[in-house]
Amino acid sequence: MRDIVKIYPDGTIALRGVSLDIYPGEVLGLLGENGAGKTTLMKILSGFLRPTRGYIVLRGRRVVFRSAADALSHGIGMVHQHLALVPVFTGFENIVLGLRAKGDLRKLVEELMEETGLRVRLDVPVEQLSFGERQRIEILRMLLRRVDVLILDEPTTNLTPLETRVLFNALRKLRDSGKSIIFITHKLREVMEIADRIVVMRRGKVVGELPREKAEPRLLARLMVGREVFLRIEKPPSTPGKPVLKVIDLWVRSDIGGWAVRGVSFEVRAGEIFGIAGVEGNGQAELVQAITGLRRAEKGKVIFGDKDITNMSPSELYRLGIAHIPEDRQTMGLVLDMSVSENSILGMHRWRKFLGALGSLRWREINRHAERIIKEYDVVAPSIRSPVRYLSGGNQQKLLAGRELSKNPRLIVAAQPTRGLDVAATEYIRKLLVDLRTKGHAVLLVSADTDEVLQLSDRVAVMYNGRFTAITRPEELTEEKLGLLMGGMEAGTLGRD
Amino acid sequence: MSKTGLIVASIIIILVIAGVAYYYASKGGKATTTTPATSPTQTVTKSPPATTTQAQTMTTSPAKTQQATQTATAGLGGRNEICVVYDIGGRGDLSFNDMAYLGASRAAKDFGLKLKEVQSTSEADYLPNLRTLAKSKKCAIIVAVGFLMTDAVKKVADEYPDQLFAIIDGYIPDKPNVLSVLFKEHEGSAVVGALAGMVAHYYGCKAVGVVLGMEIPVLYKFEAGYYWGIRYGEKLYEQHTGKKVEPLRIFYTYTGAFNDPARGKTATEAQLANGACIVYNVAGATGLGIFEAVEEAAKKQGRDMGPPFAIGVDSDQDWIKPGFILASMMKRVDVGVYKATQRALEYYQGKVTKFGGIMELGLAEGGVGMSRLEDLETFLELGVQAGTIKPEQKKEIYEKVKKMREQIPQWIWDEAYKLQDTLKKNKDLEAYGVKFSDIEKMVPLDTKEIQALRQKFKVG
Amino acid sequence: MGETNEPRRTERLPEWLVEGLLRLGESAIALIVGLAIGAIIMYVTGYDAWLAYKSLFGNSFLDSYGFTITLSYAAPIMLTGITFAVGVRAGLFNIGAEGQLYMGALGAVIVGWLAWRIGILDSVLGVLVAYTFGVLLAITWAYIAAILKVKRGVHEVVSTIMLNWIAFWIVEYFRVYLIYNPSDPSKTISMPPHARLPLLVPDTELSAALIVAIAFTLYTYYLLWYTVTGYELRASGLNPLAARYAGIKPEKAMITSFIVGGIASGLAGAGEVLGRPPHYAITTGLSNLYGLGFDGITVALIGANHPVGIIFSAILVGALKAGSRYMQIAAGVPLEMVRVVEGIIIVALAVPGTLRMVREYLRRRRELAELEKR
Repeated sequence: MRDIVKIYPDGTIALRGVSLDIYPGEVLGLLGENGAGKTTLMKILSGFLRPTRGYIVLRGRRVVFRSAADALSHGIGMVHQHLALVPVFTGFENIVLGLRAKGDLRKLVEELMEETGLRVRLDVPVEQLSFGERQRIEILRMLLRRVDVLILDEPTTNLTPLETRVLFNALRKLRDSGKSIIFITHKLREVMEIADRIVVMRRGKVVGELPREKAEPRLLARLMVGREVFLRIEKPPSTPGKPVLKVIDLWVRSDIGGWAVRGVSFEVRAGEIFGIAGVEGNGQAELVQAITGLRRAEKGKVIFGDKDITNMSPSELYRLGIAHIPEDRQTMGLVLDMSVSENSILGMHRWRKFLGALGSLRWREINRHAERIIKEYDVVAPSIRSPVRYLSGGNQQKLLAGRELSKNPRLIVAAQPTRGLDVAATEYIRKLLVDLRTKGHAVLLVSADTDEVLQLSDRVAVMYNGRFTAITRPEELTEEKLGLLMGGMEAGTLGRD
Repeated sequence: MSKTGLIVASIIIILVIAGVAYYYASKGGKATTTTPATSPTQTVTKSPPATTTQAQTMTTSPAKTQQATQTATAGLGGRNEICVVYDIGGRGDLSFNDMAYLGASRAAKDFGLKLKEVQSTSEADYLPNLRTLAKSKKCAIIVAVGFLMTDAVKKVADEYPDQLFAIIDGYIPDKPNVLSVLFKEHEGSAVVGALAGMVAHYYGCKAVGVVLGMEIPVLYKFEAGYYWGIRYGEKLYEQHTGKKVEPLRIFYTYTGAFNDPARGKTATEAQLANGACIVYNVAGATGLGIFEAVEEAAKKQGRDMGPPFAIGVDSDQDWIKPGFILASMMKRVDVGVYKATQRALEYYQGKVTKFGGIMELGLAEGGVGMSRLEDLETFLELGVQAGTIKPEQKKEIYEKVKKMREQIPQWIWDEAYKLQDTLKKNKDLEAYGVKFSDIEKMVPLDTKEIQALRQKFKVG
Repeated sequence: MGETNEPRRTERLPEWLVEGLLRLGESAIALIVGLAIGAIIMYVTGYDAWLAYKSLFGNSFLDSYGFTITLSYAAPIMLTGITFAVGVRAGLFNIGAEGQLYMGALGAVIVGWLAWRIGILDSVLGVLVAYTFGVLLAITWAYIAAILKVKRGVHEVVSTIMLNWIAFWIVEYFRVYLIYNPSDPSKTISMPPHARLPLLVPDTELSAALIVAIAFTLYTYYLLWYTVTGYELRASGLNPLAARYAGIKPEKAMITSFIVGGIASGLAGAGEVLGRPPHYAITTGLSNLYGLGFDGITVALIGANHPVGIIFSAILVGALKAGSRYMQIAAGVPLEMVRVVEGIIIVALAVPGTLRMVREYLRRRRELAELEKR
């Protein structure tokens, strides 16, 4: 792959000129944080996306893939993080789906299972299979189509340790049979275990390439996290007060059913920003949802002030003084097709000051409220009646933040508050959070942007695999240490999943 | 924001008010300009009545038609259309509506009128359809096909007293501008009853039956005629064969519904199980279940045609299950429409002074009758036109019905058709001590009367 | 994502007016296209398209009697249109208006049956009771689908289609066996003479059912945009995730939407019995009700699922229904061809709305998928 550049239609630059060589008979570990561009790069290689610039050379010939099927016919197949199987079909049916029968497919599949050690129950509908089995089905699907390059995107995320071991054994066998395997991950331990060669990406670029023999977790961690600070926020000193939020041994399930949060305890005090760092998908989202009433906490307690608020509904929490800037403003924090006014009361729409007789809305009051937010938080909007969809991302976030702060909260839970924002808006939001903390509010900040967490927080927790691997002061975290914590390599967490 | 609602509300209110105001404005104008232009003229013509009276042979010589055209259209004052409003069954039903079309188009041709048809897509269309036509003042007569329109006709007839209406099968006796065309179903039922009696004995059956819809007095006519016919048919059978026969048992079942084929089927199955081999359908769409039951029973015994048989009703239903439907008691809606039109024209010409009232059509008028093989041809043709029957099926159906008829001795058919002719003139024929004219005198029958008749004819 | 630093524009037409005019223009273009295609088909098959259209629109809008027919047809489909639209607003595809309408009519007739026995009901009181009972039955019917959806996850399209047929046969059963008219079993007993809606114009079919329809339609407008219930309903329809985040239970909003829809259809059904001369009853095969619920879907799509749009689109569709007889009578176009032409016009009119709905649906799905990916 040569000089690949990818700019998404919305202007996001995902890849800034990446070149990558892949050799037969090796496992290539592709390492990087969220948003480093790993997945985008591989989607281009497997034909799901087309590069904005750059090209692919396959066995000496320059190729352009029109579709995933096209890439597949050239021997390149990708197994996504989200598997695309037909739930009601059996494993076998899913494996051979779309193949024109040549010979005894059943026998072929069984031989393949024997060879690779990737065994699945072929006659059970896929919906009844475990995630690991489904993943194996996807891999078998690819192998049956004789791929030479097999791409796996974060394949171990939902696997049990045993399943991971089976997968790794199979991958080694495949490598030995001459296939190239690209293994996308953020887990240092895994990449050290399986990869022959490791490529580290950061912010759309390759920042390091080294054979395993030369690789070493500390080095990889530094490469992966690589601090390049582009914003400096003034952080006046603040003396934290009493704990506002206490979380005690919280256990939360993921959508798939496994534990996403495994016994997390911490407290957030008035006048401090408590940051949670970590690669996304390690339970942060579920933790936030459990605290803000959007997901059931199975075990443990959440205490706000003196009140037990475990599993209370969002509207009750808002009334008590919790604000929530959700991780995805467009799908969760705002209703894009509703107007600025309407969005300005989302979540507080049943507050008495907006309600007239018989549940009617007091539009005059609501509009005044919206105008106030627009003015106070400098939201640029054509009018308070225009749909929020027509606002820029930054203005959407300002509106959202403004609304949440208008709830006059004691605790602000901010998840990925600057994701996708431009520099100015990012700075604005970060300043806002720091100001709030200085004024004595408690802020719980969750972000996959390590810079953000380290800069803003007074205390930082690193989350890996549903647990906090550390709670410490940001000054005490070196790049290396942070990278290791995020990659699950800190002592005490090894071998525990 | 509340301005929006206000503006919208006012726009709509204005719209409604404008409509209403406009209506009154134009209605006011209309009231003053109404003229008696459409009252019957006093023109007396010397030409003979313009049509044949026998509907079954409803063809007129070209010369006659010519004359008729000239005289019939005189004095209509611009009302030169036959307007037909079909009910929701619509054209292509091979029954009421198609037969009405047949009659109307013949009348249009014979009397030199234009035919205007309006179909109804919903019950809610009847009133507007009738009103719109009446309002146009172009219709010599508006024919409402089907009793479902009774209420609508009553209403519009009051609103437009100058407009002549005819309603098929609907009972509106007291309006001078409405002619109710009714059929003497008891006469037709007597004929098919006699056929049933004879055929049952020919096949050595012990019983015959009738499956009816909801128990309403109208159906008593069918019952009474049918019972009388069965007993009379037995008499004919004895006369012809010279053998004394054991009287047939007669079953009757009210299913309580006119559109429940499942009930029709169950009722028929029960009758067949008790030895009936002919079941008369007096149940509308419920009758489709009768046909099915009969066909299944025959097929179970390895036959591809009756017995057992069913008897059709209203239109010529012989084609529905060819070979299993002995014959049908036909109501000639075409004759009704034709005669109503004729009556209207005669009224305009002053030949009759009264238009409204009841026009009952029986055997004599060709309004009811037992289906013949020739009728089947006409119907199959209609069916092909409507797309219900494929052209290639036509011959097959016809042949099957013909074969079925041939399987029964010709004398039985002859006797039945002879009875049909006799009843036109002589109603004093009697069976079980009941003269046919006695039954006719009782019409409309009430519950007590039908109970008495059932006893007399040893029904049940 | 760049900041769009456009100046704050204050001097401009109100949004709703711009939006309204846009939709109107869109519909106008669609109408012209539909008319053109219809004209070509009529021309090819040998009918006078100009005369046909003249008699269609000339009579259903400009003729006084014709216009009353138009309005009387518009009344029920306006309400069933609301049923569908309120469903869409809550993110549902509620096509149960048909069955709920049947139940509404049944309720009214049952009260009519009682009114012949209980004298006091043969009055305005009877009308009120009939409306109430009809609406209650319709709500019950809608509520079944709502519960199935919320508790069991049964897709509302499946449940409402099935419930439509169950309602059909229940009402048929009542018509045939329980509340039939003794003198004419082809229909149910009629409402007694004083328990009927007054005609707005004598000797027409236009009854006060129209006022009820418009009033309720405007009420839903108020409900959706001026009450907190409507706010929650729309929010969960547009974005269930955000609604949940805001402490709204989308399930509750769905139930509300089903109930409001049930009220609308119930009013439509009862209105057909209480205000449709000459029968004031349910007729054989439910032929005076059949299809009114599905017409509502058309109406809602043409009216952009907005109550105000629905009022106008109901009148337009009503005009097409009313005009069909004029096309037959004045232009001699047979009913089958009339239906073809009207079908084309309706399809053309519904295209923009349908496209918008499909686009919205796909976009929402994409957005959700993107969220999941992260």
